[in-house]
Amino acid sequence: MNSAKAKKRAGRILIFILKILVAVIMFSPIIWVFSGGFKNLTEFTTSSDIIPKNVTLENFNYIFFHSNYYLYVRNTVLLMAGTTLGTLISSSFVAYPLARMEFPGKNLIFSLIVGTMMIPGIALIIPQYIMFGKIGWLDSLLPMIIPSFFAYPYNVFLFRQFFRSIPKELDEAATIDGCSRLGVFFKVLVPLSKSTFTTIGVLSSVFWWNELTQPVFYINSDKWRTLTIALMTTFMYTSGNAFVINWPSIMAASSLMILPPMLLYLFGSRFLVEGIKTSGLKG
Amino acid sequence: MKNEKRKPINKKKLTNHLTAYAFCAPWFIGFICFTLFPIVFMFAVSLTNRKLNGISNFVGFANYVNMVQSPTFWNSIKVTLFFTVVMMVVTTIWAVILAMLLNYKQKLNGIFQFCYFLPSVIPTVALAYTFRTIFGKEAGLLNAIISQLTAKNVMVNWLYDKRTIYLAVFFITLFTYNTGQMMLIFRSGLNDVPRELYEACDIDGASPFRKFFGITLPMISPIVLFNAVMGCISALNGSFALLYPLTGESGDPNGMTQVLSLLIYKEAFSNMKVGYACALSVVLFLIACGFGIGIFAVSKKLVYYEN
Repeated sequence: MNSAKAKKRAGRILIFILKILVAVIMFSPIIWVFSGGFKNLTEFTTSSDIIPKNVTLENFNYIFFHSNYYLYVRNTVLLMAGTTLGTLISSSFVAYPLARMEFPGKNLIFSLIVGTMMIPGIALIIPQYIMFGKIGWLDSLLPMIIPSFFAYPYNVFLFRQFFRSIPKELDEAATIDGCSRLGVFFKVLVPLSKSTFTTIGVLSSVFWWNELTQPVFYINSDKWRTLTIALMTTFMYTSGNAFVINWPSIMAASSLMILPPMLLYLFGSRFLVEGIKTSGLKG
Repeated sequence: MKNEKRKPINKKKLTNHLTAYAFCAPWFIGFICFTLFPIVFMFAVSLTNRKLNGISNFVGFANYVNMVQSPTFWNSIKVTLFFTVVMMVVTTIWAVILAMLLNYKQKLNGIFQFCYFLPSVIPTVALAYTFRTIFGKEAGLLNAIISQLTAKNVMVNWLYDKRTIYLAVFFITLFTYNTGQMMLIFRSGLNDVPRELYEACDIDGASPFRKFFGITLPMISPIVLFNAVMGCISALNGSFALLYPLTGESGDPNGMTQVLSLLIYKEAFSNMKVGYACALSVVLFLIACGFGIGIFAVSKKLVYYEN
């Protein structure tokens, strides 16, 4: 009995050590980015120390006072807020009848939604590029914000899973009290799904804050540049030499970019596991 | 007469159906405008020699003929398939490992989850640049660590060396957004596995491995399937945001990382051949469909569903 206990204890310690090891691997890039931002170009390209020898603020100085940083932040925030608002409203709306109502074509619609989830956006980006060019939306945030008001399949799916886990009796009780379908949605389902709204809101915000692909295709002027594109252009060649990549400047800009998702995560983390319902996936 | 009697019920039913359709309307409009139409349009444009400036003529299947004769295209197909499958497998396994470590209740779990999840909220561009410097030849972190451990001066250019490029790229995929999201989904799925099953196993004295393959894996298999599908899409979709800043539109070294999305971008914007890029998009679209059908076919045999 004693040896079994000792064995179990050894196992626990072993797992704990494993956890620390994995944490070091997963977290080291972040430390590398934060330390890199405080180095100057010469030190960055010659030394791989984590703690900078000569701590410098020149990179941040450049970003804050000598670039269009605030414009890029404004663009990125507009993009993030617009798309997240759009997808929260539209995706929860579409998920409601799929989780709660019986109507002809329901299964067809649901299979189409799951089916479109499988189409990678990048496969359709060239035809969309031509389309948006015809309407005159190129070089603005519209090609990304407007579609988000027409429901993202993945988010519809997550909302549906969560709505299904809410007892149906609550709807029925509300209907007896004289609530319409719309009333049930706003008075019963939405208040009970706060964690899902938060989860999808956080995931969507983080996704759009970080999104590179669509801005690269749709935006080409400095006016609507997002932070992700600025990282590849504005902050890349700031050393005065068009052929030298200014790594510390990129690292400094990156560390500034990591902060908002980090805060969003800290705010949303208690909802994250709760808000994603997988139980409905079984059967 | 009969009809009249039924009418009130039917009317109520009809209103209900109409309400349901009204709720679905946003999706339907979006589906037509941003999915169905672009698909049809993509096929149409792929039959023209459309340039970036909009000039286009019908050329029939010339783009497809050029495509199948191009070694770059076949290389790209190979890279895309390889990259998608390996990334899907690697990230899914890593996400399961992370989720299982975190679900093992111990002290400081909150901090561990923070450390495990945080890399996935880093912008992919930033991640790519970070690893370009970590994997750099001079003053790279990895070379420095290996040099310390082996007491030799290691100078490997991880991202430009044919032997190490895939190792480096797949290592980076462990830090992407998709892996973090999968980890969360697995955590929630692992929490749903009934405790009694493990207790029964403990009485039998089963090893941890038997527990994992006998109970955990079958119980979470629907979630593994779901994550494999999502992993596959994000490998096809997200590879652009990772590889474009990491190895460039030509997929260095030697096109070894030039997935189809990079080739599409290069043809459309550097070579300005939009019609040809559309033909490539059609192929990418078909590959995605193929993966989707393939995964579901495999899952029918392997996934365990509770009744």
